[in-house]
Amino acid sequence: MKALFSKLSFNQKLAIVAGVLGFLAIFAGSPYTGNTATMNVKDLALLVEREADHVSVDELADWIIKGKADYRLIDLRSEKEFNEYHIPTAENIPVGSLTDAGLMRNEKIILYSEGGIHSAQAWFLLKANQYKAVYMVRDGLAEWKDRILFPSLAENASAEERVVFEKRKAISIFFGGSPQTGTGDTKATPQLAMPKLDMPASSAAPAGAAKKKKKEGC
Amino acid sequence: MTTLAKAASPEDIAAQPVVKADRKVQPYWNPYLAGVGLGLVLLAAFVIMGRGLGASGAFTSLVSVGVNAVAPEHAKFNAFFSEYLGDGTHHPLKEWLVFEVIGVLVGGFISGSLAHRIKGTVEKSPRISIRGRMMFAFVGGILMGFGAKLARGCTSGQALTGGALLGVGSWAFMLAVFAGGYAVAYFFRRQWT
Amino acid sequence: MNAPYFKFGYFGDEISLIVAFVIGIGFGFFLERAGFGSGRKLAAQFYLTDMTVFKVMFTAIVTAMVGLFWLSVFGIVDLSLVYVSQTYLVPQIVGGLILGVGFVIGGYCPGTSCVAAATGKYDGMIYLGGIVVGIFIFGEMFPLLENFYTSTAMGSVTLPELFGMSYGLLVFLVVLMALGGFAGAEWVEKKFSKGTSQ
Repeated sequence: MKALFSKLSFNQKLAIVAGVLGFLAIFAGSPYTGNTATMNVKDLALLVEREADHVSVDELADWIIKGKADYRLIDLRSEKEFNEYHIPTAENIPVGSLTDAGLMRNEKIILYSEGGIHSAQAWFLLKANQYKAVYMVRDGLAEWKDRILFPSLAENASAEERVVFEKRKAISIFFGGSPQTGTGDTKATPQLAMPKLDMPASSAAPAGAAKKKKKEGC
Repeated sequence: MTTLAKAASPEDIAAQPVVKADRKVQPYWNPYLAGVGLGLVLLAAFVIMGRGLGASGAFTSLVSVGVNAVAPEHAKFNAFFSEYLGDGTHHPLKEWLVFEVIGVLVGGFISGSLAHRIKGTVEKSPRISIRGRMMFAFVGGILMGFGAKLARGCTSGQALTGGALLGVGSWAFMLAVFAGGYAVAYFFRRQWT
Repeated sequence: MNAPYFKFGYFGDEISLIVAFVIGIGFGFFLERAGFGSGRKLAAQFYLTDMTVFKVMFTAIVTAMVGLFWLSVFGIVDLSLVYVSQTYLVPQIVGGLILGVGFVIGGYCPGTSCVAAATGKYDGMIYLGGIVVGIFIFGEMFPLLENFYTSTAMGSVTLPELFGMSYGLLVFLVVLMALGGFAGAEWVEKKFSKGTSQ
């Protein structure tokens, strides 16, 4: 065999090497190491349209109070922000390590970030990677603070609103928040003390300026 | 080799040998060996940079800078030139492809000098005059520049790089290049054969 | 270390320009070694007397393709980070046809004309001037051409995706095609170079 190989010309040897490597390529599997994804665009678009991918903060609060444990609540913010405050039962996974964080494709995953953008991006990422049940908390932690932790009641609120507020008040206190009456000014909330820990001074601004896409072609 | 010997025939009086004529011109490499070398360079570009090779892009940067120097307003409002001029964060000639093409010139010169192939001459068939050949070269260059921009790349950027990456457009382009070439080759045979 | 190194941020823009220069030297070196500094050798491809262009090009494509495939399979390169240019089918076919015609008339393509110019070919230098003019004309006509230029966009789609095949199978088919092509090229060369010019 070896003697036979050495008898071949340089070109024939090259051809054999190419042929063997090419042939083996058939059985080598995908060269994309799990970093690309395919998605059903129509399917996703319909989900978005139906808003079937949202969980409101009220629903979430209800589940937490009832001790429902059929979901995993994921906090997408930085570790520092997570340590300052996070919604009870949440676990911290930054967007970058989402797909290798050991989330199951068939479990119910609820995402939240400061606002809605990061969780929407992460939602798309997971959906494209064939995670079946991914949801995001509508308007994120900001909404959680507004409605759950620091609900407020305007001075001129109707009787009906007052009844609703009483319910909210109970929920708020459950989560260690402080219901506000009389101000009706949502901007005042950042000064309020967060449960147990201090309120984060500012929300995480996406780092890095928008860089112009570089031409890479010929 | 034979082609070179012919090109150096007395008809090409304009030719000024750069190296001494008595140096022996070496033969070209086995095309498959040169191809493997070229492929490895391309592979290195993929591995190190995550991108392929190119050539015409560098000339586009050059042209854009030229247009910008002569008529800056005009260049600014032309979507094609302004894209190559960039957003002003760096000089438009500080481009990857520009440096790569400078390297191509140097690399070609190195290989040519090692093989004693540096020689002022005009590549053509004896059946055509130097003036005619130069005219054809110029017209061919214009078509090449235009076509390469329309196709978003030339033989290096599209055919070679895109071919290795199995891009659909690149393979369509490659077939079109050969089709275009073979379709008209007959009409220009005097220039080459 | 993960590849592509540049995309993982192992070095910055400044270093990348040095890399560009070094890779360019390699590119130019092998182009010249193959004989691509000679317009006659290049054009001979279209007269079937010398199939070097085909042989070198496809050997390079196969080498880079197979190399990239195996490096990706072993997880050394993240293939999804290697830039695949966008497909705009019709403008690319039309551009390819124009370019092919320019190749026969001018005798070079942009990369090879650089090598030709660097090794003293006057026609290569003139050709470079032609390229600059051609790009200028394209740029000036761009407002008129823009609609056509951006038509039939397909995104950065690859052949395996188009045919719904596995990447590996397509790699094998390209290798097979190239090997068949090389055998054919050797035969054609023998047949056509007998009677004609040399």
